[in-house]
Amino acid sequence: MDTLKICHLYPEVLNLYGDRGNIRCLTQRLAWRGMKAEVTRVGIGDSDPLTDYDLFFSGGGQDFEQEVLLKDLAAGKGDNIRAAVEDGKVFLCICGGYQMMGNYYETSDGVRCDFLGAVDFYTKGGEKRMIGNYAFELGTESGGSTVVGFENHSGRTYLGSGVTPLGHVLKGCGNNGNDGTEGVRYRNVFGCYSHGPVLPKNPAFSDELIRDAFQRKTGTRPELEPLDDTVELLAHDTVLERVLNGTAGKEE
Amino acid sequence: MSQSFSTALAVGACKAVRAALRVLHRGGTTLPGKVAMKIDSNILEKVSAGMDIIVVTGTNGKTTTCNMLSHALESSGRPTLANRSGANLLPGVTAEFTSNATASGHPKKKFAVIECDEAALKQVVSKIHPKVIAVTNLFRDQLDRYGEVMHTRDEIKKGIELCPDAVLCLNADDSLVVSLAYQVPNKVVYYGIDIPVGRQENAEISDARYCIRCGAEYEYDYHTYAHLGGFRCPKCGYSRPAADMAVTDILRQDMSGSTIRFRFGKESEEVRIGLPAVYNIYNAAAALAAYTAAGFDRKEIITSLSDVHSSFGRLETFDLDGTKVQMILVKNPAGCNQALSYVAGADTDYAAVFCLNDRTADGHDISWIWDADFESVCGDEHLKRVYVTGDRAEDMLLRLKYADLGGREYEVIHSQEELISRMKQSRIPVFVLPNYTAMLSLRAELGKITGRAGFWEG
Ligand SMILES: [Zn+2]
Repeated sequence: MDTLKICHLYPEVLNLYGDRGNIRCLTQRLAWRGMKAEVTRVGIGDSDPLTDYDLFFSGGGQDFEQEVLLKDLAAGKGDNIRAAVEDGKVFLCICGGYQMMGNYYETSDGVRCDFLGAVDFYTKGGEKRMIGNYAFELGTESGGSTVVGFENHSGRTYLGSGVTPLGHVLKGCGNNGNDGTEGVRYRNVFGCYSHGPVLPKNPAFSDELIRDAFQRKTGTRPELEPLDDTVELLAHDTVLERVLNGTAGKEE
Repeated sequence: MSQSFSTALAVGACKAVRAALRVLHRGGTTLPGKVAMKIDSNILEKVSAGMDIIVVTGTNGKTTTCNMLSHALESSGRPTLANRSGANLLPGVTAEFTSNATASGHPKKKFAVIECDEAALKQVVSKIHPKVIAVTNLFRDQLDRYGEVMHTRDEIKKGIELCPDAVLCLNADDSLVVSLAYQVPNKVVYYGIDIPVGRQENAEISDARYCIRCGAEYEYDYHTYAHLGGFRCPKCGYSRPAADMAVTDILRQDMSGSTIRFRFGKESEEVRIGLPAVYNIYNAAAALAAYTAAGFDRKEIITSLSDVHSSFGRLETFDLDGTKVQMILVKNPAGCNQALSYVAGADTDYAAVFCLNDRTADGHDISWIWDADFESVCGDEHLKRVYVTGDRAEDMLLRLKYADLGGREYEVIHSQEELISRMKQSRIPVFVLPNYTAMLSLRAELGKITGRAGFWEG
């Protein structure tokens, strides 16, 4: 009842930029409240049916390792992930892990690589990388808080008609640098480009995911005991201020 | 302009700009080179012509390995040009050579040891024609600049392809580095550590988990650190090559250094390295291999390694009004983990200062701190006080909160002046772990207070 079963998808490949800090954050925020997380790593070659988990996480990866991953998805894990999405399970998917949930990736020279198609969007390769600290505001259905993070992607993501963006960019590039959207929200899938890792210094977003996962699991939305987030909010506010006034990453 | 006139003009301008910057107390490591290149685009090739040059590249350990090599050359009576300042891009290297040339553009010294940035290698080596290129290792570093570790590897490969005559000195324990020898005509000397070091387990985070040739997961006969060790692909057979020169035993390790047994081919010798920590054993192995590969007498470097000085900001110790302050530059998870395990091995109480900047030279993305094992230090009962500082001090503090500060006193300090006064007041030794730009400013201030030379004064 007070335990969340977390599945870390492809921890051995999708683990760039400290993204595993997100698992750490969820586990810790539960532990601080006397609740529990059971984390299972499900990687290449594992034939877990994925029906037992409440929350899935996948992070960013290196292009080099993508091929290994696509083969494994085709071997059965892809179907299981799509089923879990339709079943309303909570997914946090970052950067490469986010792109993977979409229909396809098209490189700048037109080569198309089919992805999971679990959520209706696609990504196109671009010349210029979109890199930097950035901030976006979550949609009200995702809690409406302000998220700060670090984006680093050359892919430009375009959402299909049946899905909504996770949030709107306050400063930075987001999905494609043009339409002001960032990430995707479809059922309980939360996809975005934010490294950082995104959760530790965005505690409101973290707790939103925890509440959603419990709601899906038990049918009721839990009240979470408030935590002392002084250090978290100090980090959040300091970066947010620098992002908004354009001084993040600049010499002083 | 005639050729020789433009060369002389480039040399003169480079020296003048460098001198002017020093008067202004600026490091002056790249601007003079840019000025010289503008006047004579081929200046670097001229001012390095005929020299015997060793180039060192790779993610971690470049500076210390270079320092070991140039110390050996200098102590055996060979004046050596070196870019000690960490100016390791094309303009910095150009400035170093140009300002050490005669007025007409001829080199004054016969020997050079050059640290070179991985991505700049192809530009630099095409001009200076090194005799030996040594590669230390490949880890994730400054990701927002290079994208990913495979890209960095490809950049180094481009440089190597321009130098078919150079001897390659490659780390046999690093699957990414070993792959550089694939389909190149160069003579290759492999160096490494033949024995397991530290905890023998697969790192949770590995920068090279899958075979670079066929994609299967590597198996390891033994680990040394991070993804380094006795790797072996079970599918295609790609594996750690037998090392030509290797550490065969670690006899002693303490705070002042390590004593190892090192095998040159079939003969082996005891070597004392005057710098502590496992990563300096790797640096010494790279230096021993590169030195002998360049044709110098191994006795010279064996002797000089025992009293090698720490290089700028890398395990450098200061006496600050009676407080022992040791600074260890950390730039990426692999290097940081090594530094943290060194600190956590201290046998007395200490304070730790974590300095995190996110400027261009650091990489704007600081999320790598979540891949580094700060738990090792936070779990050490000898850690008594914690200070965090730098542009991203608050992010650092949050990371430490997760590593569990327990009931320890901690402080966020943004003023360098205040930080130094805290260190002066400390009655226990202080370890300072800064990343690159944080190191530069703190090192400058500590150097000034303790009368230690700045880096441009060599
Ligand atoms: Zn293989």
